[in-house]
Amino acid sequence: MRIDPSRGLRAPLAVAAIGLALWPSVFSSAYDLRLFTLAGVYVLLVLGYQFIFGHVGALSLTQGAFFGLGAYASAILAVRGGWSFSETFVLSIAIAVALAALIAIPVLGLESHYFALATLGIAQVLLLVCREWAPLTGGVNGISGVPGIVLFGRAVPGGSPSLILVWSLVVIGAAVAWRIQRGLYGLAFHVVRSAPAAAGTIGLDSGRMRLAAFLLSAAYAGAAGALFVRVNGIVSPDVLEFPVMVTCLAMTVIGGATRVAGAFAGAFLLVYLPEWFRPLDKYYLIAYGAGLLVMIVAAPDGLLGAAARLRQRLMPETDVAPEPERLPRPEVPVTAPLIFRDVVKSFGGVKALQGVSFEVRRGEIVGLIGPNGSGKTTLINIATGLETCDGGAVLYGNQVLTGRAPFAIARLGIARTFQNICLAGELSALDNVAVARSLDPGVDIETARAQAMHLLETLGAANFAMSQVRALPHGVQRRIELARALAVQPQFVLLDEPAAGLSEREQADLAGQIKTLRTRGLAVLLIEHNMPFLAGLADRLICLHEGRVIGQGSPDEVRRNPRVIAAYLGEPQRVPA
Amino acid sequence: MRAVIFCAALAALGMATPLAAAEVSIPVLVPITGFLSLEGTSQRNGAMLAIRNAPAGLNVRADVADTGTAPDVAVNALERALGRDAPTAIVASMLGTQVLAMLPIALEHKVPLLTVSGTASVTEKGNPYVFRFFPGDAITKVAHVRYAAEILKAKRLALIAQTTEYGQSGRAAIEAIAAKLGLEIVYEESVDVQLRDLSPVLGKVRAAKPDVLLLHLHAGPTALAIRQAAAMNLDIPIVAGSALHQPTTAALLEPAELRGVCAETNASPVSGGSPEMERFLQQYREQFKSEPDGYALGQYDGVMMALQAAAQGAATPAALTAALSSGTYRGLAMTYKSDGKGNMAHSAIIVCYDGRSRVPTVAKRYDDIDGVLAR
Amino acid sequence: MLQVLANGLALAAAYALVALGFVLVANAANAVNFAQGDLVMAGGFVAVALSRLWPVPGIVLLPAVLAVMAVLGLALSAIAYFPLRGRPATAIFVSTIAVGLMLENGANAIFGAEPQAGPPLLPGAAIALGPVSLSRQSIAVIVTAAVLILALEFLFARLRFGWRLRATAQDREMAASIGIDVTWMIAFSFALGAALGGAAGLLLANSFFVTPTDGINYMLKAYIAVVIGGWGSIRGAVAGALLIALFEVVYPSLPLLVPALPVSWLFTETTATIILYGVVLAVLLLRPRGLFGEAVLRRA
Repeated sequence: MRIDPSRGLRAPLAVAAIGLALWPSVFSSAYDLRLFTLAGVYVLLVLGYQFIFGHVGALSLTQGAFFGLGAYASAILAVRGGWSFSETFVLSIAIAVALAALIAIPVLGLESHYFALATLGIAQVLLLVCREWAPLTGGVNGISGVPGIVLFGRAVPGGSPSLILVWSLVVIGAAVAWRIQRGLYGLAFHVVRSAPAAAGTIGLDSGRMRLAAFLLSAAYAGAAGALFVRVNGIVSPDVLEFPVMVTCLAMTVIGGATRVAGAFAGAFLLVYLPEWFRPLDKYYLIAYGAGLLVMIVAAPDGLLGAAARLRQRLMPETDVAPEPERLPRPEVPVTAPLIFRDVVKSFGGVKALQGVSFEVRRGEIVGLIGPNGSGKTTLINIATGLETCDGGAVLYGNQVLTGRAPFAIARLGIARTFQNICLAGELSALDNVAVARSLDPGVDIETARAQAMHLLETLGAANFAMSQVRALPHGVQRRIELARALAVQPQFVLLDEPAAGLSEREQADLAGQIKTLRTRGLAVLLIEHNMPFLAGLADRLICLHEGRVIGQGSPDEVRRNPRVIAAYLGEPQRVPA
Repeated sequence: MRAVIFCAALAALGMATPLAAAEVSIPVLVPITGFLSLEGTSQRNGAMLAIRNAPAGLNVRADVADTGTAPDVAVNALERALGRDAPTAIVASMLGTQVLAMLPIALEHKVPLLTVSGTASVTEKGNPYVFRFFPGDAITKVAHVRYAAEILKAKRLALIAQTTEYGQSGRAAIEAIAAKLGLEIVYEESVDVQLRDLSPVLGKVRAAKPDVLLLHLHAGPTALAIRQAAAMNLDIPIVAGSALHQPTTAALLEPAELRGVCAETNASPVSGGSPEMERFLQQYREQFKSEPDGYALGQYDGVMMALQAAAQGAATPAALTAALSSGTYRGLAMTYKSDGKGNMAHSAIIVCYDGRSRVPTVAKRYDDIDGVLAR
Repeated sequence: MLQVLANGLALAAAYALVALGFVLVANAANAVNFAQGDLVMAGGFVAVALSRLWPVPGIVLLPAVLAVMAVLGLALSAIAYFPLRGRPATAIFVSTIAVGLMLENGANAIFGAEPQAGPPLLPGAAIALGPVSLSRQSIAVIVTAAVLILALEFLFARLRFGWRLRATAQDREMAASIGIDVTWMIAFSFALGAALGGAAGLLLANSFFVTPTDGINYMLKAYIAVVIGGWGSIRGAVAGALLIALFEVVYPSLPLLVPALPVSWLFTETTATIILYGVVLAVLLLRPRGLFGEAVLRRA
């Protein structure tokens, strides 16, 4: 729907930014300035959390701990070591990042709630350590008397000066976050989050991206902690307690987990809301809870998400598709074949593949057929690194593919599509394809989009380029997957049931496009049940049954093969239409 | 009663002539949410009752604001109050970390803080604007340990403290005093407020064979420890911290479970003792439909001292600070006078339960404790 | 010391109920109910309030507490889950956090901040069992929780209704396609989850009192129990609850149980907590999907 997340919101956001900038000059009591400064600190914390929670989609529960660690590091260094603000600021970031790097090794590979629990455990242990290690941390009393900010030898007094300093850092932090998110890297995060299986197959190293996001979130939290302790003059174990983490999470979700402006909205609202309700005495936190509930029900994907939708409804605006641009000719195609050699795989006690061997050569279309559960998809998963085999190997020429990560295999020029379509549903068709251009170091986001447009055009999906993928029909989504696979500029394309759910006309189009690939020298391996479709397309067919090859050859040979008929095709008159 | 106090205050402050009506503002910034809201509510009630009983001719404004349990929220509340109320004095949270965070701002704005925090370090920062109307740990813990040593004849002590700042400040004081008195602490452990089952700790206490068990815990854990000790027939005399004297804590326990248990505190309003105290008790019950504790009384006395001083002309923050620093005030719980650091209370009492009632009787009074812990 | 084990088991049993309530909602609605801890607290206060109106043993009040809490669970699903159904799962984190906040501060406003004791399950103090005397309350808690857990097992294993609930948990779309009213099943899971949490609140409120701020502690315990056991696994949740109670009660008592061990900082409550988290991390490294694996399979 939208290419740029803030597109269409530029004018309202500009007004909001001016309003925000004028706010402290209108509300200028020490109290107002303090709240505004605190809100800035939380903006930094949330901007960081957006990387790991919003972009990667991992429920990290250590963001509060990084924040507290940054605060403690600054307090300890300033009070016990007499270090200056700029030194402690940098060190707070460094220490938070160092802890993140240390814990990333064991926990970053964990999934969903297991990752959340592991990070929660680390945060709780850090809390206990800060409470108990009194000689260093001041124990439960914490450390008070942390001097205010001194910069270039001059004290920055509370009120406006420190507000300006904190908000300058917030603006820098927001600009950095925005830079990171707006390019291809930002698109890549969408794929890592919403289509993780696909990320590797277009060459994205999602492990490294998770790590980068985790370290970035820690860096922002460390910076926020360093400022927090200077603004308050005291640090106590409260900063490490769970409620701080909960507040950060709520701010991120309320504002919008993947938008820079969302961090501002979330932090600002959650700092001010309890203050506005304060006159309600002991009922004010009930009102605050009710306020949170109303906000999240009204805007489940954050205030910024709701604002974008509202804008779209009031002033619908279709995005203009970019001018298509041909992809650069790849270097001379490699002529090596893709070789499956004695591939063995079992799941639990079930033997999915029992020694499968065959080759796919350049300029060839090979169809892989067989009954459900015969191991076809498993074979492609092994070839693309999504699964490992128990025995045998897959080779590309003389390079062994098995054991390599999916992104490494994709970078060799082996691309694929999925039986269960695996696209980032919230992105446009164009962006789903453009993101697969990020392997080419010389390509920026504009070029990538233009080239993606070209691919969509050749596949007859140009009309859908600017639509959100989630809303598109099945057949179009299949074509987008194919376009994405081609954007990798592969030598080999592995297609998993590309014709499923397509109309006959669409099937004919698809067959034509696959033949074009062959003429360009690519090799295609496709899994299909649709025999008429394959008959006119494939040079060779390979039939799997119970994890073994039971027949191969030209489509006619295979169709007459009695073992294939017995296991898969049945009597000739019962050929699936 | 107002007259009695009034006269007492007049005498104490050495002032003779009440001045014309004065405006004062005393924002009440205390935790009314979170884990310390029981004590914070007592603070608020005590302060509000004092303001209701303010000397004639004094016009008092008092807005209540919550400080939660985090220092930054307390500072928010303080900045807010400073910005809109032009406060004469501020009733400040009893949570030590919050007072510590508020101190520099009070100094900057030269506004006195009236608190009942027990945390020792609150008055050790050389800040002239903090006034503590509750005996600090350096005083109550002297009573706590001396009672165990002198009356219960203990040589070997066991101590269970909380891991909160309240608990750790008290623990440090008890260790110092025990060392000074030559007592041995044979077992010591700090436990989390949320810990449910204290029997493992109590088992280890029993194994260490102490003469007396000292508790320095918040209200819920104090009641848990006493109940679980009774259930396992621990049979070691217990002297608890001030949380036990709170009527809501004793209400959690059967009188039989409380038999022989003692606690330190500044005062036990429900135990009565004087006509003024009975009057306070009656007013408090009418007003708040609950039983007052020592924190409420300490805060009542503190705010009342400030109001009396204001009625005598010290109605600006500076004048009030001077009056609080130099004056003497005979309050309901004790006589208050600053030791130069803002410690106003120098007395503590030990109350004990007889096993028949949840209302304790005063067993021992310790006055004029110097509160110097170093040997 | 048998009493230590009984105390540990009683605590584990109560935690298991909390965790089970959490799992039911997690499975049926695919939602993390961050208000589960506050529902435990609410159950405790419901028990306190009912026992003031009607001073009878807790076991008599249990059905009433279950009923009130089931209604509260339905209300929770109506305001915090159904308006957000089909929306990002993270939205439900925040909506349940918000409801938890309202419950905590509502309890503070209604009942006050002071700890309060719930009614004992059975009248009387201790029962003698050979040479040791066991607290009647601990035994009653274990038995009550065990009965509730077994009833739950029976519901899932034997009753058609339970089978529908399980089908909903495994695959909502499939369940809907075979005619199960998924909405009602989810609402019922919220009601059942809240009722179990509330029952735990009743069981805990006598021995350990109840205060408005208790929620977060129970929430953390339930979350650890559920995840370490394997997300969605009922057996796993019970095992996780046992593990937590083991470290809370039995581990710190080790020097008493095994006289050879020294009474030292190694066996303090704080150390026990740190070791618990260490064990949790170790389990996750060795078994990245919890002790029992996942009950509900992810679909590729």
